[in-house]
Amino acid sequence: MVTMAATRRSVLRGAALSGLAVGSASLLAACGGDSGGGASGSGTTVKFGMNEAEGSGPAYDRLKAMAAAYTKETDTKVDMNAIDHNTFQENINTYLQGAPDDVFTWFAGFRMAQFAEAGLITDLSDQWPIDGMDDSFKQAATAGDDKQYFVPASYYPWALFYRKSVFEKNGWEAPTTEDDFMALMEDMQGKGITPIAFGDKDGWPAMGTFDILNMRLNGFDFHMSLMAGEEKWDGDEVKLVFDRWAKLLPFHQEDPLGRTWQEAATSMGKGESGMYLLGTFVIDAVGDAAEDLDFFTFPELDSSIGADALDAPIDGFCVAAAGKNQEAGKAMAKWLGSAAAADAANNGADAPMIAANTGASTSTYSDLQKKSVEVVSAASNIAQFMDRDTNADFASTVMIPSIQEFLKNPSDIDGITASIQEQAASIFG
Amino acid sequence: MSIETPVTVPLPADTTAAGPPKRAEGGVMSRPRGVVVTVIVALLALAWLFPLVWAVVNSFREYEYTQANGYLSFGGWTTANYEQAWTQGNFGLHLRNSLLITIPAVVLTLWLSSMVAFVLARFSYRFNLTLLGIFLAANLLPPQALLIPVFRMFREIPLPFFMSDSGSMLNSFWGLILVNTAFQMGFCTFVLSNYMKTLPHEIYESAELDGASVWRQYWQLTMPLVRPALAALATLQVTWVYNEFFWATVLIQQGDKLPVTSALNNLRGQFFTDTNLVAAGSVIVALPVLVVFFALQKQFVSGLTLGSTKG
Repeated sequence: MVTMAATRRSVLRGAALSGLAVGSASLLAACGGDSGGGASGSGTTVKFGMNEAEGSGPAYDRLKAMAAAYTKETDTKVDMNAIDHNTFQENINTYLQGAPDDVFTWFAGFRMAQFAEAGLITDLSDQWPIDGMDDSFKQAATAGDDKQYFVPASYYPWALFYRKSVFEKNGWEAPTTEDDFMALMEDMQGKGITPIAFGDKDGWPAMGTFDILNMRLNGFDFHMSLMAGEEKWDGDEVKLVFDRWAKLLPFHQEDPLGRTWQEAATSMGKGESGMYLLGTFVIDAVGDAAEDLDFFTFPELDSSIGADALDAPIDGFCVAAAGKNQEAGKAMAKWLGSAAAADAANNGADAPMIAANTGASTSTYSDLQKKSVEVVSAASNIAQFMDRDTNADFASTVMIPSIQEFLKNPSDIDGITASIQEQAASIFG
Repeated sequence: MSIETPVTVPLPADTTAAGPPKRAEGGVMSRPRGVVVTVIVALLALAWLFPLVWAVVNSFREYEYTQANGYLSFGGWTTANYEQAWTQGNFGLHLRNSLLITIPAVVLTLWLSSMVAFVLARFSYRFNLTLLGIFLAANLLPPQALLIPVFRMFREIPLPFFMSDSGSMLNSFWGLILVNTAFQMGFCTFVLSNYMKTLPHEIYESAELDGASVWRQYWQLTMPLVRPALAALATLQVTWVYNEFFWATVLIQQGDKLPVTSALNNLRGQFFTDTNLVAAGSVIVALPVLVVFFALQKQFVSGLTLGSTKG
């Protein structure tokens, strides 16, 4: 701040100096960077790009602890590049085509497979199998060419969250069937509580509702091929999803387009709403009520399909094809998927992550996380969430406005699905 | 906060302060009309200021309090947001980055464009007007349209490692300084050449007679005379370059090299955003611009009308 206050006089004097080019050159040489370059002495240097800004919280602390543990264990110097989550994600294309780090944090699913296809990330199949990594995670790390390009590190499930004390006080129980679910919501409405908190100002939270309804009504396989652009968006299946959603909307908070997910979470935290379909990050927004939270998975809607699929986005690591130090990057990526890496991360931060590696210690986990592990292990199919399972442009430029349009005008399902299909055809070709 | 906001705010305020003109009778602005104008302008000023004031007020409140009681409540006062924003956003480092980008870019822009302007204003070549036209036309190109060419070009331009640890123009302050200079030069050249044209021609004739070289005419004659224009441009440029967000986000991929405007994103989490904290961060980021603006207000306002009388 103070340093910014260069006076007009000094700026002008600077302009007046004929030697200004020299002056600014020395000024800049000072900030050319502190990297001494590539290999040095016993250990090499791996550049590690992370999608958490320095000091932003437990997620950053975990990555930092992993990097430190890796240096300790292998004598490899890790050069960290911390960028805030949203900027990193929005710039991923220029990042990978520019001067990327060797290893970087990324997501499983279509978003990873897209880069594999474009040749922007490195084939890691020679690093697999990884000890303690289940088949479902190996599946999630595999791109279209049956090779692995990703190392999973952690995940979190999407489910219906509620306050235990509110349920106890009203004598409610977590429903397991559709009938129980509907009865519960009607009872809530009768007691003046909005059954389901809902906010879609940011556009993405409602994707979770679409995902789970589609998986419950049409099954996991249909959901995944729909996401991959192989099914029709204006077919009966998708119309069925929107149709059911329209019937459930009266049980949701009204006017969701004017409400952020944080505000919706607050309403559940205060007991004004009964449940909220969201990821486990909901605890960040409910304050002291976090201790009181519990969850259940979305009940079965079609007995021939069951309720064994859910959204549980997996975070992990990729190696950039344009990274300078391929071998060291691959080795580090493999290590980052190990139980030792997960333990180092969870011991180094206030809040643990749910490790993808089954060998990782669960002693630091909260009750919610322990339950998450159970629920996800019990699920036979895991989706990554719409914006990770499908083309990123399709998710943000087509699905966000389309779902918002549906929430504004739930009766025009034919028009909305036709418009999605038209745009999907042009994106997926 | 948009770049224009601080520039536009004081205008209505100025008019308000001027109040109804002191004309006895029959003027365009009679007393009742003056009152009406004052009220309208005051309302407009309020509409402009409201979001800013709202952000400042809420930056002093706890997130828990506003979330539980709504933003229309009163209470939950704290300064913790500012402390947290400063440390979590790592603003010390990022303000230094902004400084290292802004100062050289502004100096370079003014220096180069004053030389171009001098030639355009003082010598008549056949292509003078065309040249000025090209400088101006480049100003009309949206930076987004040039994103991919510039990005690819910068990726291919090698720099020695002591200048940029990526080995190319990407991820280096050099690239940002050059891009900002290139984009600001058109406007500065236009303004400065117009200003220089207003200098009396006779001065140059006598300088010529006294044997002053072209360089001396530029350096010792023209530059001192255009100081007011340079001052106005310097204040404008400092705010523009400082507020620049787009190129920094695209060309810098290393978190610790981002300027402070892009670093504001550090205060947003992956899912959760403490809006009061972001408000506090925005106030911190906007403060240098406001300081520059209020300290050099006179130049600023004269800068707005620079070059508007002759062209």
